[in-house]
Amino acid sequence: MNSQNTASPQFSSKWLWLILAAALACYLPFLLTDRSIFGVRLSNMQLLNLGLTQVNLMLIAMLGSLSLNYLTGNAGLISIGHAAFYAVGAMTGAVAGTQWGWPFPLVLVLAGIVGAIAGLIAGLPSLRVRGLYFVLSTFAMHYIVSFSFLEYQFKFFDVVGVPYEIAKLGSFEINTPMRWYFLLLPLVILVYLGLKNTMSTREGRVMMAMRDHELATTAVGADVRILRLKAFAFSSAIASVAGAIYAFYMSNVNAESFGIQFAIQFIAMIIIGGMGSLNGALVGAALWLLLPSIIAGFASQVTGSSGAIKFLLVDNRAQFVQVIFGSMVIVLLIFAPGGIVGIGAQIRNRLAAKRDQS
Amino acid sequence: MSNMLEIENLSVGYARKGLALDNVSLSVAPGSIVALLGANGAGKTTLIRAVTGLLDLHNGYVASGRIGFDGTQIVNVAPHRLVRMGMGQVPEGRMVFKQLSVEDNLAVGAAILPRAAVRERMDAVYELFPRLLERRKQAAGWLSGGEQQMLALGRALVGGPRLLLVDELSLGLAPLIVQAIYKQLVIVGATLGTSMLIVEQNVRIALEFASSAYIIERGQITMSGTADEIRISPSMRDSYLGTVKSEETGEVIAP
Repeated sequence: MNSQNTASPQFSSKWLWLILAAALACYLPFLLTDRSIFGVRLSNMQLLNLGLTQVNLMLIAMLGSLSLNYLTGNAGLISIGHAAFYAVGAMTGAVAGTQWGWPFPLVLVLAGIVGAIAGLIAGLPSLRVRGLYFVLSTFAMHYIVSFSFLEYQFKFFDVVGVPYEIAKLGSFEINTPMRWYFLLLPLVILVYLGLKNTMSTREGRVMMAMRDHELATTAVGADVRILRLKAFAFSSAIASVAGAIYAFYMSNVNAESFGIQFAIQFIAMIIIGGMGSLNGALVGAALWLLLPSIIAGFASQVTGSSGAIKFLLVDNRAQFVQVIFGSMVIVLLIFAPGGIVGIGAQIRNRLAAKRDQS
Repeated sequence: MSNMLEIENLSVGYARKGLALDNVSLSVAPGSIVALLGANGAGKTTLIRAVTGLLDLHNGYVASGRIGFDGTQIVNVAPHRLVRMGMGQVPEGRMVFKQLSVEDNLAVGAAILPRAAVRERMDAVYELFPRLLERRKQAAGWLSGGEQQMLALGRALVGGPRLLLVDELSLGLAPLIVQAIYKQLVIVGATLGTSMLIVEQNVRIALEFASSAYIIERGQITMSGTADEIRISPSMRDSYLGTVKSEETGEVIAP
């Protein structure tokens, strides 16, 4: 009976937080568009120099970081080819959307299917090679896709890039950041919940076991080869859909949009946020996409000052942001391999171990 | 009734390295605990790899001979299939899933079971190793060596194997803990009828709990018999168990 008494307020407070978060998420785009809260004008600094476009790009990046975290953090397969799956999606979008004139939702479905097939092919080397060699095979795949994209772009379009039409749901045009936001937010939530659900199934648990110890996973009766291919196909299907969305959002992409730094940013996101944690993937993507803009906001405040702050924030801001992310990755890898969201659990484990010793 | 494990004239080689096992025969009767003893590099691990289907992964191959598991020939059967056929494995070095909780480790082991049977089998493991129940929610990487070994055993037992292969259980563990774990294994054998093949370097402890044993040296079985027969055989005493001889007379005065 005690447990019931304590359970019910916890339950309701959880719902309260969810409702609050939902209300905030729904209000955010209006806040960022009107740049005022209930009629009171906010300064650029109070809004952290953020605009809805950055938030939308963050949401698209979240699709990528979530899917990469599923692959790397949960199934234990490191891939530096994630940009390639974005490119596969963008290319599918160009063929089906721009050239064939398919409706946007169908284009996304096709991008998912093509992405899954590309993922299966990219995952094939994992049947024979392990570790670093496999990482290199994803690297090779990245360049194969890049090359194909370039050839495709120059055959059908030109040096400017591949154009995309305005995304439409039926006759409803998704032509403002606000409309994109309300399309992207549910999509991110859907992918998040879907992945969370997948990971809590039996097979999801076996996949996490495979990340910890592949041989031992075989020793408990799992066919790791099939599991690896499944993980790859699933993850790249999501990334490919995200790539198609990215292309439609940007309305024009070219082969250079999906360079190797595009792939590496996803790895950085999941290291910073927390490898193996879906929340970490969200945190990592948010930091990666929003922090530069926030720092730029601070920089605009110190234009008058001089010295070290001006040197860092104004004159060398781009490099400064890179240094921040770079050191964040190194420091987290050494001291908190669980990333930002793993720090709490790390401390709890330490304390528990200490308690056991005494 | 056929033996649970029947190895006949098995020869195993590694690419570019020649034979590691030469004409080895060994059998595990249903419900019995059999020990395979030998020094480092004698071929113990190779034999386990051959039985569990992991030779391929180490560039090894079966040159000749047969391996029967409960009447079925299993040379070249994929490792995960063998587990599903009822062959539980406790790999050397324990290999628990360090980032998963104790409960999740067992759940992964139970993934081959029908869903309805999982809870009951997991409770049976907890009953066998109450320490695991206490640590249920803890990440396996934070367990002590003995607890990790219990978990590796539990993970193999939870699937309800008919044959359990245990590789170097005592490695790096305190003698008292090894004793306690082996006692639980004997209980498993007695209550569930699980057959076991135990690969050990620690001859003394293996002979205490096994019913029969094989000695392997340089890829060949050099001696086999009941645990008692092996314990009292003179060559065994000299080379493995250690004896103290009187300096004057050369007589054995203490085992």
